[in-house]
Amino acid sequence: MTDAAMHDYWQHALNDLSRCPARPEIEPLPLRSTDFATLYGVRLSSFGPYRLFGYLSIPKGAGPFPAIYYTPKYQSVLEIIPQGTANLQRSRYVTFSLAGRGQRNADSPYAAMFPGLLTDGIDNAASYPFRGIVADSIRGLEFLLTRREVDHARVVVAGNDIALITAALAKGATHVVTAPALFYRTADLAPKTQAYPLEEINDYLRRHPARAEAMRRTLAHFDLAGLAPRVSAATLVMAGAPGSLLDAAALRPLTAALKGPVTVYESQQSLYKDGLYSERWMAERCGIEDVQSILPEHWRD
Amino acid sequence: MPRALPADYRSKVEKPADFDAFWGDVLRQASSIPLEPEVVPDPLRTSGDIETFQVFYTSIDHVRIAAWYCRPARRAERAPAIMLLPGYQMDPPIPKEWARKGYAALSVAPRGKLRSNRQFNPGYPNLLTHNMVDRHTYAYRGFYVDTWRGIDFLLSRPEVDPARVGVTGSSQGGGLTITTAAMRPEVRAASAGAPYLCGFVDAIELTHTYPYEEINDYLRLYPERRADVEETLAYFDGISFADRIKCAIIVNVGLQDNVCPPETGYALFERIGSKDKRLYPYDGHGHDAGRARHTAVVDAFFARHLQDAR
Repeated sequence: MTDAAMHDYWQHALNDLSRCPARPEIEPLPLRSTDFATLYGVRLSSFGPYRLFGYLSIPKGAGPFPAIYYTPKYQSVLEIIPQGTANLQRSRYVTFSLAGRGQRNADSPYAAMFPGLLTDGIDNAASYPFRGIVADSIRGLEFLLTRREVDHARVVVAGNDIALITAALAKGATHVVTAPALFYRTADLAPKTQAYPLEEINDYLRRHPARAEAMRRTLAHFDLAGLAPRVSAATLVMAGAPGSLLDAAALRPLTAALKGPVTVYESQQSLYKDGLYSERWMAERCGIEDVQSILPEHWRD
Repeated sequence: MPRALPADYRSKVEKPADFDAFWGDVLRQASSIPLEPEVVPDPLRTSGDIETFQVFYTSIDHVRIAAWYCRPARRAERAPAIMLLPGYQMDPPIPKEWARKGYAALSVAPRGKLRSNRQFNPGYPNLLTHNMVDRHTYAYRGFYVDTWRGIDFLLSRPEVDPARVGVTGSSQGGGLTITTAAMRPEVRAASAGAPYLCGFVDAIELTHTYPYEEINDYLRLYPERRADVEETLAYFDGISFADRIKCAIIVNVGLQDNVCPPETGYALFERIGSKDKRLYPYDGHGHDAGRARHTAVVDAFFARHLQDAR
């Protein structure tokens, strides 16, 4: 895949998105609002046209606040903040989580299957659902940046591959936390594992061997190493544990290609240690000095 | 002040006096509904070594439940079986890795999960608090039965040895492992990781993270309903089920678990009725509950109880 071909592919997607106004609807959700933050349900449009849904949390008090944008995950459920995150995170950050097309709350007309989404229509780059999901994610970031409560100097985009791709294709991310899982050398790495989600690729090729080349062409547009030079935000790459499929050594071509400052963290196979590291990394970069106060109770010193 | 040791924690959960009568009635209602299993080959996900099927069966309230079923392509006439139960937010996985270990493996999607949400779909967040003031309609009444009916499905399969059925899962899957082992005497061995749905009323004070935080959200908006909520949850708490467990069981917890507080894991373990039980606490671990190290323990446990012992 040439840089020009990748550029054209994504420029077309961005052009499609720019022709579609977001037309957000924002509605308070009292059930999930607290004395330290107000939660809103947000509906907004992406190209298609397709109506999306997200959860926007705004801290009480005088802003602007740093923001964490949780990009669409590879699961059906949309979380307000990731499971296990202290709810008090919402007292210090604006948070926005978005369901891309196919996820719950954004599953009409397209209801994605998990597993299944990764290879759904993968033999056609122009109509591959992830082209739309990336656009959805960019639309989410654009929306977040329209909020006056957000400090534009402290905007973290967090998630899996979609977080990095969003930061590559859209302006506004000052920091990125990414845990690659789907789009790094996908076709090459899939045969080395039997674990989902990459096992979807193996299933697909076993069933449709004649589509292998078309699949590779589509995946090339999404490859993180190809998009990395466009990322100028400070980036935390959450690599797998040493020896795993996506460990720091395997990700080196990606991390080396990132344009901005890079921190690589290798998983210690502990959600406590890994989670604590990323929480502290974000807090330090966002100027939050008393991170202890917004950690889960069982993670505090 | 340093945090108290989780082993010293005393749970507030009290088992209702009519607990057995309540669940006996639920089981009677469920047993009147035919299972009507449907097993549909899934050629996309079938390979030379593993056969994969999409399974559907009927549960209480006539809700149709989906599941993934994998079995080794080459197997003995009667194979041991494992039922895999899902976490709260996760999409039920295709259990190929269990089939590769020689088990007929069923991964259930209880009502409201993807592929089982046509008739019942309170959504996430919301499932945990759906009808939480009424034990007769609380979301987990049907949700629990859906998993127990998975055992009926396995027992209906000619390739499954009915004397060698195990159950496992982590987080919500760990809690469902507890309730299934308690209510289905056919279960010979169980492994529960980071059990959720155990010590609800404890957990909402010990931690303020989702999904338990859904209950705090609810009680903040409707404080006058607390008594009804607590009454309902006592019927659904894994700690209330635990004394019924008689099979071999292992439980693993992370001592820094920010989702399912380790205190509740200890409280649960203390109440488990089985004489063959063991707790594996993992310091330095959160909601993974030491999975990277513990997987080998689980594999050896099931091999001993379901593969070696015939």
